[in-house]
Amino acid sequence: MKLLKPSWVSHNGKPIFSVDIHPDGTKFATGGQGEDSGKVMIWNMAPVLREEDEKNENIPKMLCQMDNHLACVNCVRWSNNGLYLASGGDDKLVMVWKRAAFIGPSTVFGSSSKLANVEQWRCVTILRNHTGDVMDVAWSPHDVWLASCSVDNTIVIWNARKFPEMVTCLRGHTGLVKGLTWDPVGKYIASQADDHSLKVWRTMDWQLETNITKPFSECGGTTHVLRLSWSPDGQYLVSAHAMNNSGPTAQIVERDGWKTNMDFVGHRKAVTVVKFNPKIFKKKQKNGGSPKPSCPYCCCAVGSKDRSLSVWLTSLKRPLVVIHDLFDKSIMDISWTLTGLGILVCSMDGTVAYLDFSLDELGDPLNEEEKNTIHQNIYGKSLAITSTEAQLSTTIIENPEMLKYQQERQNAAQAGSGPGGAGLESTAPKLNSVMNGESLEDIRKNLLKKQVETRTADGRRRITPLCIAQLDTGDFSPALFNSVPILPGSSMPSQLTPQLSSDSSQGQASSLGLRPSHDTLLTSPPPSSSTKGLEDNKDGQSPTHVKQSLLLTSASKIEPMKALDSRFTERSKATPGVTAVISSTAGLTPLDSRAKDGSSILKDVKNKEETSSDSEDKMAAINKNLSFTKRKADLLMDGGEVVEKRKKGRPRKDKMATPISQPFTQVETEGPSRAAATPAPVAALKLPTPSIQKAFSLQVSMEPSVFLEVENDVSVVAGSKLSQLRCSRDGREWDTLLPSSVVTAAGSSDVIAVACEDRMLSVFSSCGRRLLPAIQLATPMSALHCSSHFVMALTAGARLSVWDVQKQTALVKNESLLTIMSGADTTVSQSLLTQQGVPVIGLSSGKSYCFNSSLETWTLIADKGDSLVQCADFRSCLPSHDAPVSSGPLAVMQGRNLNAGRLASRLSSTPHHLQQSMTLAFLENQLAAALTLLSAQEYRYWLLIYARFLVNEGSEYRLRELCKELLGPVHKSAATAWEPTTLGLRKRELLRELLPVIGQNLRFQRLFTEYQEQLELLRNK
Amino acid sequence: MCLSRFSASVTMAKVQVLNVAVLDNPSPFGNPFQFEITFECMEDLPEDLEWKIIYVGSAESEEYDQTLDSVLVGPVPAGRHMFVFQADAPNTGLIPESDAVGVTVVLITCTYRGQEFIRIGYYVNNEYTDPELRENPPIKPDYTQLQRNILASNPRVTRFHINWEGCAERMEDSENVDPASNSMLPPSCLPGKAPPLGLLPDNSMDCL
Repeated sequence: MKLLKPSWVSHNGKPIFSVDIHPDGTKFATGGQGEDSGKVMIWNMAPVLREEDEKNENIPKMLCQMDNHLACVNCVRWSNNGLYLASGGDDKLVMVWKRAAFIGPSTVFGSSSKLANVEQWRCVTILRNHTGDVMDVAWSPHDVWLASCSVDNTIVIWNARKFPEMVTCLRGHTGLVKGLTWDPVGKYIASQADDHSLKVWRTMDWQLETNITKPFSECGGTTHVLRLSWSPDGQYLVSAHAMNNSGPTAQIVERDGWKTNMDFVGHRKAVTVVKFNPKIFKKKQKNGGSPKPSCPYCCCAVGSKDRSLSVWLTSLKRPLVVIHDLFDKSIMDISWTLTGLGILVCSMDGTVAYLDFSLDELGDPLNEEEKNTIHQNIYGKSLAITSTEAQLSTTIIENPEMLKYQQERQNAAQAGSGPGGAGLESTAPKLNSVMNGESLEDIRKNLLKKQVETRTADGRRRITPLCIAQLDTGDFSPALFNSVPILPGSSMPSQLTPQLSSDSSQGQASSLGLRPSHDTLLTSPPPSSSTKGLEDNKDGQSPTHVKQSLLLTSASKIEPMKALDSRFTERSKATPGVTAVISSTAGLTPLDSRAKDGSSILKDVKNKEETSSDSEDKMAAINKNLSFTKRKADLLMDGGEVVEKRKKGRPRKDKMATPISQPFTQVETEGPSRAAATPAPVAALKLPTPSIQKAFSLQVSMEPSVFLEVENDVSVVAGSKLSQLRCSRDGREWDTLLPSSVVTAAGSSDVIAVACEDRMLSVFSSCGRRLLPAIQLATPMSALHCSSHFVMALTAGARLSVWDVQKQTALVKNESLLTIMSGADTTVSQSLLTQQGVPVIGLSSGKSYCFNSSLETWTLIADKGDSLVQCADFRSCLPSHDAPVSSGPLAVMQGRNLNAGRLASRLSSTPHHLQQSMTLAFLENQLAAALTLLSAQEYRYWLLIYARFLVNEGSEYRLRELCKELLGPVHKSAATAWEPTTLGLRKRELLRELLPVIGQNLRFQRLFTEYQEQLELLRNK
Repeated sequence: MCLSRFSASVTMAKVQVLNVAVLDNPSPFGNPFQFEITFECMEDLPEDLEWKIIYVGSAESEEYDQTLDSVLVGPVPAGRHMFVFQADAPNTGLIPESDAVGVTVVLITCTYRGQEFIRIGYYVNNEYTDPELRENPPIKPDYTQLQRNILASNPRVTRFHINWEGCAERMEDSENVDPASNSMLPPSCLPGKAPPLGLLPDNSMDCL
């Protein structure tokens, strides 16, 4: 056995509460106390394992540190697949971390540490439910669940597939729950708490299986953690702190009947942590020895408050090894490598130890197959893993096409998560992120000019920040920092770094920021001035009245002035007088912040005196001294004054919470009933009509470019006024005269329509030929649209007509809007005619309807107030390069910035199945609407999203029906009414497009194969 | 395990400043300050962030602090964002003549719901470029000849724990509410909550 204490694994001397080795063995995580927060750090394993790697400067030791926990981190655990890291802390939170793709090394902004984060781990979920410190977290086998336990006496089971969904909360402990372990078979989870009990819970119904109290009845409640462990064969559960005859033990609980007949004895103080080796071993076959079949055995490490570690083999009566005095304080956590030969131990004293065993010492580890055989023998087939996904992972891919899509998916996933390897090579950042084809560099060049700046009602500047990466896609733009010419933090002079640790001892005053470093090299106050400073002190004034000297050789060597330093850490106060702008941040200055600053300044002064002597030799370098007088520190004395000042701070003059009035919520208060009750509702419906202008012009088509010009009353012939319509099409002009004033005009590339004051509608071809005799309308024209060869007329009497000019037929015959215009306040806010001749009416209520001429009915196509729209969450199903369906009528009516799913993230509490149903309903609405609108492109767009969603959610029935409909009958028969196209799109082509999507979920490989083969068959026909 | 408890609700910082690039640096004293700020937001923020640039006119007294400008930044959906904060150079009339040349500080602060959660400080050196002037600086500072150099490589970042969910102040001036961006707001925060709402212990806790 070899033992190593890597001194570089440290949280700056702060306690390390937890350690866990990544399943791939290339890195490990530690959790504990940070400077002012909890800290999670990820370390490279290679320098622990190999001395030459430790010495190699090019091999990073620390890979990443995360300070996001607000308070001490008690537990860090990698998921079994190695993709996630879960951490739980005193801030009551569980955070789940994932490696961010594409981001190269960077530092924490403003950190003076030169240690760059080699890997970027990003908090992807925060799990909030505990009301007390989270003490332990554990991933279930196959990462189906994540369990966390807390001093709030509960255990929460989270759905690891759908964070932050909670599966259940296990209640029953009456004391702080301090340890968790899953049964390797997945049938149970065990917990140990301060209430002198160890409880085993079933995962089938989350009920208590057994409650073991006897071995714990004598236990005190002072053990920090009670990390129990289940043996890899599932046969034994070993508790942390138990007592037997007044001696501390680790209790062995047998799975069979939960018997408690054996224990590990020998530690002098309470056992804090037990950890089984993940491997099952068998005796090493000695050369020439008789190949006696020996019973497989397990290996277990036990750590205790007595600072010693023992390692046991279940085949031996005595420990394999006991190591005393490994640490100065209690052992807090243990982690085995997956190979079963290495072990990392961490302690409250802030250090970590690594033990390396040989096969000779432990035995021959069984391979996975042998281990499975043991499981099979013990648990039979019923060992069944609860997860379907787990079974899928062993599913054989039968179809080569399927394999391709699966591989693509894996590659994408790998790109997303980064390879597990800790080496630098994997983090080579891809430069030049692309944002709409523009590189980040280009964006940065023009950011100031391009960014949107507005003024708020009270005249303040408001900048809309440029979003350079979405959070939820995980698609962070690559290597921002590498492309930045000036790198705050990373380009820090290296001599400044050692100060961090020494400064940190200053404690509270410096807790939130980096204290100015007392600079060994650059600042060297001449004796005269520092003496003067001392004199000042003697004057009995504030000790901060110190004149300081600065070395300023060149601009780049400015050195911290203590006089100014306080400014860095003070919170802003109401700055009276001079400032022109409102100071708003007054409210929360800690009362004693000034006092703290004062004391830290005092320390600074002391330090300076101490350092001045050894830096005297540098004095020659000084070519300029600047002296600054510290501002009067009278404020330091008196917290009360600070308070007073604070009150002067003017309140923030911008928006605060107000009651929300959503325009669309007041729709249809008493609509339908009222409409039914009113005998002559038609009279109530009067749509606005445009007023007659003397002349107007409009562009009706871009390509070809068609302009219309109307001039009313150009001449009077025989008492009747004539109006002129002039049209210019690609430079060629025509004109015509009309016997009445033109009220409104519209056109498309094919037809031009004008409505006159005398309620006549005239339609001309693009070259000016009159296509139809004038149409007499019942009421004046309210809105007129042309699109392709269709003309739509909406009259003031709220009646709608659509004509197909080419076929000279009516598609919509004088249809009343009464049906949709229920409700007193509803007005038509928008109307349009699609290229396919479908009329669409948008109402002020936020609803949009189109008239379906084949069904002869109004159909709802969009409702801005629809809660489905807002709750649907299909963002994960959007196509990767989000080419929006910019111009379709559906998009127009739903608003260009269709914020579907906007509320989705806010509704994290919505049960997943509910959200799933809402999303499904929304997507189906979209599809149906696109179909009704005859909008082929939009139909295709939503169909793909819909299919993706079905695939992601595993809705096989719907997916199968969809495929069936798209494929149609394979064999021709006259009886089938199947249309090979929809909206001009060939259905089988659509199906061909869907297949790669379907291929991404291994679960659907049968479906995939089935339809792929049939498509091939049809193609070859 | 630490036994200390927070009384206020604990939430994680929702906004992380990732980088501040100092643009146009060094530059003549009269040029506007330009900071390109990159930040990341954990979740959609219902309210704007307020950023400020404060120029410390004199180490002598806070009275000479000038808030060069303050901007609201929003809306801020979850994700990574950047913007350039440009603010005019300080009003030279408000700087004590004796402090015009030499080292001072410029601060960038950001507040959310009236609570400052980050303060970024840079040393700034104002110097004459002309060696002649440097040797014999005029008594009355000649701002046109001064060059401003921000020590961009050495930001001092101070982070404060704040209450991200609640607001620090009472809801006055609610007439200035922009309804559009507020529509996602949860039921309004109760006015008059206990004053130390946003105050979380900044200290490191003794865990033993």
